[in-house]
Amino acid sequence: MEKDIREDIAWAQINKDVLKSLENPRKLYWIILFIAIAMVGVAVGCEVYQYQTGMGVANKNNSHVWGLYIATFIFWIGMSHSGTLLSAILHLMHADWRKPIYRFAEAMTTFSLMTAGLFVLVHLGRLWQVYYVMPYPSERWVWPNFQSPLVWDMFAIATYLSSSVIFLYVGMIPDLAICRDNIHSGWRKKLYTVMSLGWEGTDRQWRNFRITYLTVACFLIPLAVSVHSIVASDFAMSNMPGWHVTSFPPYFVAGALYSGCAAIITLFVILRYTFKFEEYMTLSIMRKLVRLTFAIAMVWTYLNMIEFASVWYGHDQTAKDQLIFKATGPYAPFFWAMIFFGSILPLMLAFKRFQTHLPILFVVSILLNVGMWLERWMIIAPSFAHGHYPWTWDHDQWPSFVQWGIVFGSFGWFTLLFMVFCKVFPSVSMYEVKEMVYHRTLALKGKSAAKGGH
Amino acid sequence: MIENSFNRRDFMRVLGWGGATVALSGCGNTSVEDGKEFVTSYVEAADYVIPSIGTYFNTTCAQCDAGCGIMGRVREGRVLKLEGNPTSSINKGKTCGLGQAGVQAHYNPDRVREPLLRNGSKGETITWEKALELIKDKIGVGAGEVAFLTGGVSGHTKVLLKNYLDALGSGHHYAYEAVSPAIIRAANKKAYGVEMPRLRLDKAKVIVSFGADFLGAWVSPVHFAQQYARFRKNAKGERGVLVQIESKMTLTGANADRWLAVRPGTEGILALGLINGLAAAGLSVPKDVLDLIRSYTISRVSKDTGVSTEHMDKLIALLRARSPSLVIAGSAAEGYAHGSQNAAAINLLNKVLGNVGKTVEPPSAISFPQITPTTGSRSALQALNDSMAQGKVKVLFSYGANPVFTAPITMKLKENMKKVPFKVAFAHYMDETAVEADLVLPLNSAMEDWSTSVPEYVAEGAQLNIQQPLMEKLYPGTLGMGDILLALLKQRRPDEYKGYEDFYSYLRGAMVSIKGTLGKASESDDTFWDGALSHGVVKLKDTPISLANKVFSGNLALPAPFAEDGGYPLHLIPAVSASLRDGRNANEPWLQESPDPLTTIVWDSWVEVHPKTAAKLGIVEGDIVEVASKSGAIKAQVYVFPGIHPDVISVPLGYGHEAMGRYAKGVGANVFRMLDPIFDKETGELAMHETRVKITKAGQRVIIVKDEGPAGGNQMGRKIAVRMSSEKANISKEV
Amino acid sequence: MSIVNLLGNWSDFRQQHPSDEHKHLEYKWAMSIDLDACTGCNACSVACYAENNLPVVGKEKFSHGHSHHWMRIERYWDNDGREFADQGAQFLPMLCQQCESAPCETVCPVGATNHTADGLNSQNYHRCVGSRYCNANCPYKVRYFNWYDYPTTENVWPEPMRQQLNPDATVRGKGVMEKCTFCLQRLRAAQSTARTEGRSVRDGEVQTACQQVCPTGAITFGNLVDPEAKVGKQWMQQQVELNKDKQVKDTAEHASKLRGYRVLEELRTYPSVMYLEQLRESAI
Ligand SMILES: Nc1nc2c(c(=O)[nH]1)N[C@H]1C(S)=C(S)[C@@H](COP(=O)(O)OP(=O)(O)OC[C@H]3O[C@@H](n4cnc5c(=O)[nH]c(N)nc54)[C@H](O)[C@@H]3O)O[C@H]1N2
Ligand SMILES: Nc1nc2c(c(=O)[nH]1)N[C@H]1C(S)=C(S)[C@@H](COP(=O)(O)OP(=O)(O)OC[C@H]3O[C@@H](n4cnc5c(=O)[nH]c(N)nc54)[C@H](O)[C@@H]3O)O[C@H]1N2
Ligand code: SF4
Ligand code: SF4
Ligand code: SF4
Ligand code: SF4
Ligand code: SF4
Repeated sequence: MEKDIREDIAWAQINKDVLKSLENPRKLYWIILFIAIAMVGVAVGCEVYQYQTGMGVANKNNSHVWGLYIATFIFWIGMSHSGTLLSAILHLMHADWRKPIYRFAEAMTTFSLMTAGLFVLVHLGRLWQVYYVMPYPSERWVWPNFQSPLVWDMFAIATYLSSSVIFLYVGMIPDLAICRDNIHSGWRKKLYTVMSLGWEGTDRQWRNFRITYLTVACFLIPLAVSVHSIVASDFAMSNMPGWHVTSFPPYFVAGALYSGCAAIITLFVILRYTFKFEEYMTLSIMRKLVRLTFAIAMVWTYLNMIEFASVWYGHDQTAKDQLIFKATGPYAPFFWAMIFFGSILPLMLAFKRFQTHLPILFVVSILLNVGMWLERWMIIAPSFAHGHYPWTWDHDQWPSFVQWGIVFGSFGWFTLLFMVFCKVFPSVSMYEVKEMVYHRTLALKGKSAAKGGH
Repeated sequence: MIENSFNRRDFMRVLGWGGATVALSGCGNTSVEDGKEFVTSYVEAADYVIPSIGTYFNTTCAQCDAGCGIMGRVREGRVLKLEGNPTSSINKGKTCGLGQAGVQAHYNPDRVREPLLRNGSKGETITWEKALELIKDKIGVGAGEVAFLTGGVSGHTKVLLKNYLDALGSGHHYAYEAVSPAIIRAANKKAYGVEMPRLRLDKAKVIVSFGADFLGAWVSPVHFAQQYARFRKNAKGERGVLVQIESKMTLTGANADRWLAVRPGTEGILALGLINGLAAAGLSVPKDVLDLIRSYTISRVSKDTGVSTEHMDKLIALLRARSPSLVIAGSAAEGYAHGSQNAAAINLLNKVLGNVGKTVEPPSAISFPQITPTTGSRSALQALNDSMAQGKVKVLFSYGANPVFTAPITMKLKENMKKVPFKVAFAHYMDETAVEADLVLPLNSAMEDWSTSVPEYVAEGAQLNIQQPLMEKLYPGTLGMGDILLALLKQRRPDEYKGYEDFYSYLRGAMVSIKGTLGKASESDDTFWDGALSHGVVKLKDTPISLANKVFSGNLALPAPFAEDGGYPLHLIPAVSASLRDGRNANEPWLQESPDPLTTIVWDSWVEVHPKTAAKLGIVEGDIVEVASKSGAIKAQVYVFPGIHPDVISVPLGYGHEAMGRYAKGVGANVFRMLDPIFDKETGELAMHETRVKITKAGQRVIIVKDEGPAGGNQMGRKIAVRMSSEKANISKEV
Repeated sequence: MSIVNLLGNWSDFRQQHPSDEHKHLEYKWAMSIDLDACTGCNACSVACYAENNLPVVGKEKFSHGHSHHWMRIERYWDNDGREFADQGAQFLPMLCQQCESAPCETVCPVGATNHTADGLNSQNYHRCVGSRYCNANCPYKVRYFNWYDYPTTENVWPEPMRQQLNPDATVRGKGVMEKCTFCLQRLRAAQSTARTEGRSVRDGEVQTACQQVCPTGAITFGNLVDPEAKVGKQWMQQQVELNKDKQVKDTAEHASKLRGYRVLEELRTYPSVMYLEQLRESAI
């Protein structure tokens, strides 16, 4: 059996390999960065146009008031679950294969939340008044409406984002100290010095560090579950046929973990290649990751079936009509594509030979996320197109280039943040990899000792 | 009381509808007139005007000829909203959507603001003095060579018009209405002795309407809609039954208990068939009528008209069981070469049923013949056109009509107009006719103008409507028609008219002079006049005319149903919509955006096609088709419509302007232009429904812009608009 | 500004939703629309444009579903495969139902749409951030969003058309939601006058613009609390109760003669608009 990591990597080598990623990545890095910036440019252009002209240019309408922005918002919130899953959940479960890859997964969490947040702004008709959603003290005692799931969203996302940033940062402190000690000049030196908070690696520091890290991890898990449950409540708490389904929160959480995992596979492949992390992001780890993804895909499939079944066997004819419409109406190709990408395609992950085939995994993981994005779109568009009120049905309200442009650009924005992060901060956790190597060596020693040794 | 630079707006003292004594002036509207700044402070406003509180002034709706009384809400010197005038017996406080849009005619950005002289292809603005001078010069032609084209006119405008024509020695007044019920008027005259008897919908237990869209665009829709409400739920809580017979469903048809699709042109046959059935069911019918209807057996008539014997039997039984009824001959029945006969047959049915005197009542005679309405007809335009073609017209005045837009191509009206050396258009917009004129004289809007009118159809008694300005003129360069006529009269008869400074003083003088006849001799001039303005209507003496009640067959001879025409297999029904009518209101955006009630389409023309016909031709909704008659063709989008006879297609009128303004121009297609020159044999009126057409796909397909969604008119099993059978309800118990 | 205030405020907000225990005190505005009288003429819709400064968006924007008709006349066919719609159309004037338990209110993040003490679903344009959640949750889809800034859009209110705008109603800028207000400006003026005179608004003293124009008098509007008000008598006579989601008509055999119903009542929105079923004669 292949190993998650070689036991014989020298600790200094680990530092060297990882710190190299801060210096000279492949040229591909710069190409990706450039493309990302161009994509953000498109989105900024679209948003400026929309802001100036009015939301109408997005081509939504009075019966179809939400579109790609909300769909993509849910998508990015979903993405953010990857980091928490790998860092916090697997951390608590002592799955140490997570160690080389959790750092970038955590970064993903943070950046996808930052992307998701932008969609809330872009979606608002009057984004310049967004602060009304916050419960700031006001002489007129005007509060936001605590009944509204959108307000819960605001709290949930803000909390989740700040906690994720803290988690990411706390987990990085020992590594920042390594950076500080290995980089000798320039702004980075200053940055690492400040950010490493005087980390010396004393016992006391390590003890405090472990407790803090564990605490934040424990805090983060319910947050992650709640944040997507709350996003699910935006729908489940409403009365739109097909939305007020009790199973929406777990369904959303499963979908989130699913798309998060798939995104980790994608980024795994990219980082492994661009930063030459073959030693750390090993195929063995990939296999575990893929198996996890497969399992979650099946959970998602199950919950999807539950949702359809509860609609089908429920008393609500409008919801049933809605489901039939999704499966047979103008959105049917997208609906079935979602089913295919979300439930059929992942079946191939069950086959060993694909579990480490990086090019295939790269493509498949992207397609899984296309499926997950379609899932979100299929929650939004067909529901609005075929709601309670037949007079206002609207079966061909397609998003305009402005909506597509902003959605497109959001991927650039995420990539930009992510790529910059990887270049400025160690995207593989050095100390945890060392720990892992150390544990392996110990285990190996233990094994050979048991065998009687030499 | 406010002094204001424009004299004729002085001393307009009226009672507000709320009961407070209030007066109107142009106060508050900062205007620049005669080059001097004139500013009125709200702080100084008269005691009855409370800033920020609307004051209501009564006037008359000028959006159509029904002549509803309206009251305008005026605030800070601007008219904001129109409501119905409760004291007008026509509309009793209500208006239609078209009436609501009156403010948009007033505030319309495309109004003509100054007199324009056409100079080759360009126009130049000139002063009123010059314009009037020019008319004076040009009018020097022989008196017989001046033609005055107008819409329907009445009241003191008509008096001045007549006086002017007299002064010129010209009798050439052509009153033209593109969609008037001229044939029905003639048929009514024969049957009842009056052109427009009063139709008491409210007294009828059954109404059988042969294509009279009285809820939509016919004669006096707001009045009829109110009567309709009482017909549906009368004082005793009984519900009247409406049966609508027509080839294209109108708004009225859409409200019928039974809508019967009749083969186009066979309305008269159906009427005779019903008489036959009624006679067989025991209704007493005079001998000559019996002779006439003998051959119109139910089975034959059913075959000819396409109306099932079952429905005819049911209708006959209904008419026998419930009386009185009311049978109305409407525009759908009159639009054929045998339109007069159709109408006569329908009127005969009404008389046979004994409805005259019960649900058909006499109108009142107007004691002042000089102000009675001169209603328009299509034949008037035909006559004018002939004169112009023969070069007999040297000066043409056009007021309240847009013949270049409404005349069929075959008339060659535009070409013939070119033979007229000097054409004057009194205009609100640079419409198609104004564009052809040599001199365009901008009119005040109805919210800025003085006039009086007597509507053709008055619900009770006799009534003179008063139109008064609701606010200061928006543009100093416009003038009221009364003022223009007065100025023109002063050119011819200076001595007679020099006492009248303006039309306002003329009107006031004329009205005050008849106060004795109105039984108000004891009132002071001021009180009388204030009262008149306050109410917006003046009740005239009520002297009913008696109706002709004798039932006789006349010389009624109905032609056989239309033969098939292989080349032009379909009948074209140009529909008169409640909003756009003949197109004069097309530049009012509320109306363009107000969905057509039946198709919910906005901002465009459409071709209504029955699903069967559409299937046969392989056409689906949104297909652009060419609709071609022998005389012309248009292109428009298809709307598949379950309220139309399969042999018929229908396109609404009023669209397809090539000029007029930003909201009208280029919207839809003009069906007036493609009508065939076929005329009613008795009256010579253009037969609006006679045109035969063929339709061919033009290749494109569009998504129709309409309010209705992809579910169409289907409620998808949800409880939204619910209907129940009337015997299940008990409306007599209802509040 | 304490947490107590905050909770108290929220609690007040919750209590604005009247229930059996929490009755309306002086006013509860309500409407009834007789579908047998309504001819589908659209006058009410145009009147609402005039009264409430609704923008005319033009063909292009209308085609994108951006129209603003707070009162929209829906036209349904009921020909069940028959060759013609030979019993005519069913017209339904649809406006904000001023739901007593309004789904749009609970979801608005900023409380821009609220229940008022006199039973209206209010819409506070200044407060609205344009999330459009309210619209998503309105089963009747009677909320209209300002997709563009109509006051500055060409040909919406060109000079001098803007002089027609009703100063008593607002002109909404881009990004806010709007909908029928039961002509709030008229209600408030009447209520204010009545208050000054130390009485309640009398029945008929205030009309909504759509009611006032309606040629057939299909629309009745008034105060449900007022025992003299026609609208209340109609509701009572039709045995439609505000706080119920199933009426006598739906349950009792003997009540089949009643015509009153509320649209999509089963969703428990408790609408303030009662419709009276259209009638059709069976003898023909
Ligand atoms: N009794 C009493 N006295 C008061 C007050 C009060 O409440 N009661 N209020 C006080 C206060 S707060 C104020 S601000 C003052 C206001 O006092 P003033 O400034 O005197 O105010 P107004 O009488 O409203 O307007 C002055 C004049 O300006 C003219 N006007 C309007 N528009 C224009 C324009 O465009 N150009 C020109 N050239 N003229 C124009 C008006 O016709 C009017 O004649 O009064 C003060 N005095
Ligand atoms: N139509 C029209 N509108 C106008 C103007 C106009 O000329 N015409 N003028 C404009 C101008 S310039 C102004 S300044 C505003 C003025 O507008 P407002 O400020 O509304 O003026 P007032 O009505 O004079 O005063 C408001 C209230 O203050 C109360 N009050 C008086 N003394 C006190 C006090 O000591 N304490 C408290 N708490 N209340 C007190 C008064 O009783 C009154 O009810 O109006 C503006 N609006
Ligand atoms: S029917 Fe004619 S006159 Fe009466 S309100 Fe309507 S447009 Fe005006
Ligand atoms: S105005 Fe009255 S009759 Fe006309 S559509 Fe509105 S409610 Fe119906
Ligand atoms: S009808 Fe819609 S907008 Fe009106 S109160 Fe009910 S949910 Fe809200
Ligand atoms: S659009 Fe405005 S009123 Fe509606 S939910 Fe959003 S903020 Fe509230
Ligand atoms: S009540 Fe007022 S705001 Fe509501 S639809 Fe009628 S006119 Fe419009």
